[in-house]
Amino acid sequence: MSENLSLVVHGPGDIKLEKRPIPEPCPGEVLLKIHSVGICGSDVHYWQHGRIGDFIVKKPMVLGHEAAGTVHKLGEGVEHLKVGDRVSIEPGVPRENCEFSKIGRYNLSPTIFFCATPPDDGTLCRYYVHNASYCFKLPECVSYEEGAMIEPLSVGIHACRRGGVHMGQKVLIFGAGTIGLMNLLVAKSMGASPIVVVDMVQERLDMAKCMGASCVCKMEKNTCPREMASKVKTALCGMPDVTIECTGAEQCVQSGIYATKSGGVLVLIGLGNTNTTAPLIAVTTRELDVRGIFRYCNTWPTAINMLASQMVDVKPMITHRFPLDQAIEAFELVKKGTALKVIVQCEEPEKKEDPQANALEQCQQQCQQLLQQCQQQCQQMQKDQKEHCGRIGGGRS
Amino acid sequence: MSQDNQALVLACGELKLEKRPVPELCPGDVLLKMGFVGICNADVHFWSEGKFADMVVKKPLVLGHEAAGTVVKVSCGVNHLKAGDKVTIEPIVPRENDEYVRIGRYNLSPTCFQAGFPPDDGAMCRFYVHKANYCYKLPECVCLEEGALVEPLCVALHACQRGRVKVGQKVFICGAGPIGLLTLLVCKAIGVTLIVVCDMCQERLDKAKCLGATIILKVDKCTCPMELAQKVKNSLCAMPDICLECTSSDTCIQAGVYAVKPGGIVVLVGMGLATANVPVTNATVREVDIRGSYRYTNTWHTAIALMASKKVDVKPLITHRFGLDQAQDGFECVKKGAGIKVLLNCEAQCPSMCPPPCPPPCPPPCPPPCPQPCPPPCPPPCPPQCGQQQSQCGQQRQCPQHSFF
Repeated sequence: MSENLSLVVHGPGDIKLEKRPIPEPCPGEVLLKIHSVGICGSDVHYWQHGRIGDFIVKKPMVLGHEAAGTVHKLGEGVEHLKVGDRVSIEPGVPRENCEFSKIGRYNLSPTIFFCATPPDDGTLCRYYVHNASYCFKLPECVSYEEGAMIEPLSVGIHACRRGGVHMGQKVLIFGAGTIGLMNLLVAKSMGASPIVVVDMVQERLDMAKCMGASCVCKMEKNTCPREMASKVKTALCGMPDVTIECTGAEQCVQSGIYATKSGGVLVLIGLGNTNTTAPLIAVTTRELDVRGIFRYCNTWPTAINMLASQMVDVKPMITHRFPLDQAIEAFELVKKGTALKVIVQCEEPEKKEDPQANALEQCQQQCQQLLQQCQQQCQQMQKDQKEHCGRIGGGRS
Repeated sequence: MSQDNQALVLACGELKLEKRPVPELCPGDVLLKMGFVGICNADVHFWSEGKFADMVVKKPLVLGHEAAGTVVKVSCGVNHLKAGDKVTIEPIVPRENDEYVRIGRYNLSPTCFQAGFPPDDGAMCRFYVHKANYCYKLPECVCLEEGALVEPLCVALHACQRGRVKVGQKVFICGAGPIGLLTLLVCKAIGVTLIVVCDMCQERLDKAKCLGATIILKVDKCTCPMELAQKVKNSLCAMPDICLECTSSDTCIQAGVYAVKPGGIVVLVGMGLATANVPVTNATVREVDIRGSYRYTNTWHTAIALMASKKVDVKPLITHRFGLDQAQDGFECVKKGAGIKVLLNCEAQCPSMCPPPCPPPCPPPCPPPCPQPCPPPCPPPCPPQCGQQQSQCGQQRQCPQHSFF
């Protein structure tokens, strides 16, 4: 087997493509040949800063957590998958059946394994081992790339579930990046309407409109939060029941508080400043529920169903593709902020025609043949000599 | 009416007893002879600053929304009350059947009548008219003084409902003022076994301990929120499920977010700070919900039942009583932070007619209070902006032909 090419972060500003050994699956695990991996903002953040909050890169770590691949080898006891199955990976695997796991909120388990969160290695490599229960088989009609998009789609599903989004509700989404757009798709599929998306970048708003936003609103750096709330009210002909905040920007959190209808829900996904100045009096007197989102739980089967039934189409979000050996260029592109979703293709490319190698091989084959011929001739000569000697010295004995 | 109505009117930052006509009854109304009315922190803010949160006193106003009295007269169509009934009033009454009323969240209806909040007159008067559907009969075993505490008890009850407080949970309550202490009593009634209460005032903390707080923590202006959160965790040997924040201070809001377990809830009950510094990242990555709680909806029956069954005993919270003509002293008392709940006795001061106050409860064995005095009160704020002259009340109540409410 060839070596396992992997994209590894060592510290702030330091990522390298390295060859690592191919791991062996333990009982309950599977070895996957990774096919497609999406690059997330958090991967770029670990590259640039070497940390996110209290998660610090202290030893080299493989990046990537939005992945799909093929089952290559089964660990002992794995029965629901077989070699060759195409799967999507749920990167968060609880290590213990703690109080959070027991209530079904395993995303909050403090000891959870999570791909590409220090110190756990991720999936930007050729071969990767994962807990088989957290690998979900993809139906034929769902591609590997869509399989890789299930992770950000899951953020949208978890957020809309926590926000209580349901049919007939008005929804406001701040941010038209991948996460904002996933929330748009999920909210739409849950029957919310109208849905307004807010962003600062016109191209992103155009994309949101293409992907089904009822209306879009452009926000400037100096847009006052109350003014933004008023614009949203006009756009939706009413105040949103649920606001989903995907940017982490203070301006958007404040706008969300003013904009959301009394008794409504403000879902916070985006991570920004540690502390934010918020008009809490409005939260109190209008009984807003402010609900934070951390990753997801129990979303993979739903996401696969949504993709298989074509309830949502995530393919338009994929704007760029790079092979694994050009992963660093891929990261540079994501850092620029101009791409939407960049996918890294991790399968080893087929061997190309190499004239020199071919000539060498041919030469080797010819030599082999010549050697065999020589050996055969030698044996024949020895045989002939024996016979000849036998005839001559036949009467000696 | 043979008796004149006297009302405690707030005008230009001053409280004065004024003679006013006894209000007329419209369909659906009852006329009450007011018994006791509690003085709330909001009332003190209206008096000393002319405003509270985003509500501003723009014209003369009768304060008072924590009230209980006796029915004198009922209008036609009112069948569930009769003259002589003791009742407690729910001060917010929706004016229109808007979307919030229709889903049962009438506390959020923006056009509600709110007794005692500008511009709607309240119950600090001798005779007061209110919608009968928002007057609730008190059982024999609940006196009028207790009836005046039903409203703040409802604030506490609603907050616990918003926080989904359940039996067996661990709760962190910020503030041991009237709302904090009532919240403590409700939590205990629900079956919460571990309750931590924090406050700046040792006397109030001692009261909290008497009323059943498991642990009390003293804080001061310089307390670091993370340190407070750690103290809470250490004292409970666990992270609380819920924080009921009754102070509206930055320190406590932050401590609440840091202290509660992942997936936990912080309920904002306290009102005061327009903006606050919130640790949103911590709240987001630990899925800590922050839920505002505003007044109450559909809590009166439960609150009265809690009092009647003695599951909640509010009498220890009543520390001072003043006649309506000594209201100013009462307001000063609350402003100083003295005692816990100060009541105004609104009945005409005729000894034979004054209802006997509730007998003081037998003091449970409390630890001796700390010899240190409470921290000094804040200096009085600047006088309010109102430049209006005191004027006679010429308000006419709008009487709809038919009242849905």
